[in-house]
Amino acid sequence: MQGKEFEEKNHARWTEYEEALAKLEKQGQQAQDVSRIPTMFREVCTDLALARHRMYGVLMNERLNGLVIRGHKQIHRRAGSTWDKLFRFVLTDFPVAVRAEWRLLIVCTLAFILPLVGVALAGFYWPDFSWVEAVLGANMMEDLDMMYGSPDDQISNLRDAYGSNFMMFCHYIWNNIGIDFRIYAGGIIACLGTTFFLIYNGVFFGAVVAYIHVACSTEAFYTFVAGHSSFELIAMVIAGMAGMRIGLGLLNPGRKTLRRSLMDAGKKSLPLIFGAAIMTFIAAAIEGFWSAQAMPPMVKYSIGIALWLVCIFYLGLAGKHISVRSAKKERSSIEA
Amino acid sequence: MATINGYPVDRIDTLQSIELAEGVEIYLRAAGPYVRVLAYLIDLLIRIGVCVVAYFLIMLFSLIVGGNVAQGLSMLIMFVLVFFYYVVFEAGKRGASPGKRVMGLRVVDTSGAPITFGQSFIRNMLRFADGMPIPTYGFGLLSTLMNRRFQRLGDLLANTVVVYDRLPLMHLASLPPALESSSPGVVLTREEQAALLAFRERGGMWSEARRIELADHAQELTGRTGQAGMSRLLGMAQWLGEKH
Repeated sequence: MQGKEFEEKNHARWTEYEEALAKLEKQGQQAQDVSRIPTMFREVCTDLALARHRMYGVLMNERLNGLVIRGHKQIHRRAGSTWDKLFRFVLTDFPVAVRAEWRLLIVCTLAFILPLVGVALAGFYWPDFSWVEAVLGANMMEDLDMMYGSPDDQISNLRDAYGSNFMMFCHYIWNNIGIDFRIYAGGIIACLGTTFFLIYNGVFFGAVVAYIHVACSTEAFYTFVAGHSSFELIAMVIAGMAGMRIGLGLLNPGRKTLRRSLMDAGKKSLPLIFGAAIMTFIAAAIEGFWSAQAMPPMVKYSIGIALWLVCIFYLGLAGKHISVRSAKKERSSIEA
Repeated sequence: MATINGYPVDRIDTLQSIELAEGVEIYLRAAGPYVRVLAYLIDLLIRIGVCVVAYFLIMLFSLIVGGNVAQGLSMLIMFVLVFFYYVVFEAGKRGASPGKRVMGLRVVDTSGAPITFGQSFIRNMLRFADGMPIPTYGFGLLSTLMNRRFQRLGDLLANTVVVYDRLPLMHLASLPPALESSSPGVVLTREEQAALLAFRERGGMWSEARRIELADHAQELTGRTGQAGMSRLLGMAQWLGEKH
């Protein structure tokens, strides 16, 4: 059969298909009966295969190729309710993903905690401000003086103005979630970016703690950070895990091709960084609206400790029964 | 050279062949760095524009709700513009940021399917790494030049490709059919057949001298050079067309 004949024979079908597609693309599923579209799509697929095999020329191939791509876009769409997914994510997927990467959890926690404790202890025993100043900078030290100088001029005094809580909430979203995302993206540079940010933040916080113990009111500081510290610090470590995961996809592909390994690493990192962003958001809400409230220190400390326990038990236990079940299923399917 | 359906596998163009579940291959045209830089600049201008407009609106707004709330709002807007502008648009129905739409581009999964929110998130968070060293997009550029699909690091992790949304119609001008068809006399491979047919299909776009120059490459097949070689080549193309 000549190319022309082929086109004449099928022209009506192609036009019908194209019109149905155009309608679907513009108005969505409600506007028409879509039950015939998959059939028509497969017919056009066959036409494309035939046209290509018989070499009916570039023009026809291009046209059919375009028609198949448009149909493919419409038919192979992913479904699922957003709320369903969000619930499943919070209740199981996220904690399960964190536990699955427990080695990275240890590495990232150490990368953050060791510099923090080291610098804080060093500052505590050798209170020499020159190197604390080198880390913090003079401006930051002034800010710390202003915020935590003594228990009397707590941060709550700085937050008297109307709307200042909301402003700080937005500031923490912009700043802290932004840091999480940078920690994550930095991982692709062979884990270097992530490691740098974690260690840097550890050193920085260590210097802050040291400075406050030496020069400011520890009560003003700890009552302020008690509430949000759990969510914020754990989220930062988890963002670090996500970054390390993609970095390891590049450094250690194992028996996969590099392309495949990067792809899988991206997929695995996703629940981690999403969860980190959500936790940082919660931390920002606490830090913006609650942490600066004037309250008895004991109340603040107990709520702070309670939130730490909530975070730890949530990440340690949530979704455990489901992950055990799915692991069993996986094992039995492998054996089968 | 290995071939699939008469198309060489080591291609000199940017077409990506993808096999669908329906057992047929489609060709997507991956977009290179140049057109994507233009799309990026358009998006940058749009975002700056939104910032400027938002700034004036917030200035007005601050008279009503006070400076602190207004400052907070401006930070929220910055957050959304910097981190979620691309994520939201590319995860959306059209799969493209406004800049990409203007340039006729679209982000798809390497299977040709639309991308998920997660994929959009990964590829756009990785902009901070691709953009290094600031402001050159050096890592991203290097990565696009090192693989066939022009994928930057974010694309590799999210398994996505930037493609031309609607392939531009090819400008073809076919030559008039030859007066007499002639058998090649030897068995031609599919790829060689495709080359002959393509020669006739595109011949109208070239000057006579160029056509003859190209036909001279097939001297071994036609046994002649110059004008005579070209007519014989067209005769063979005619013969092949009739045979199908």
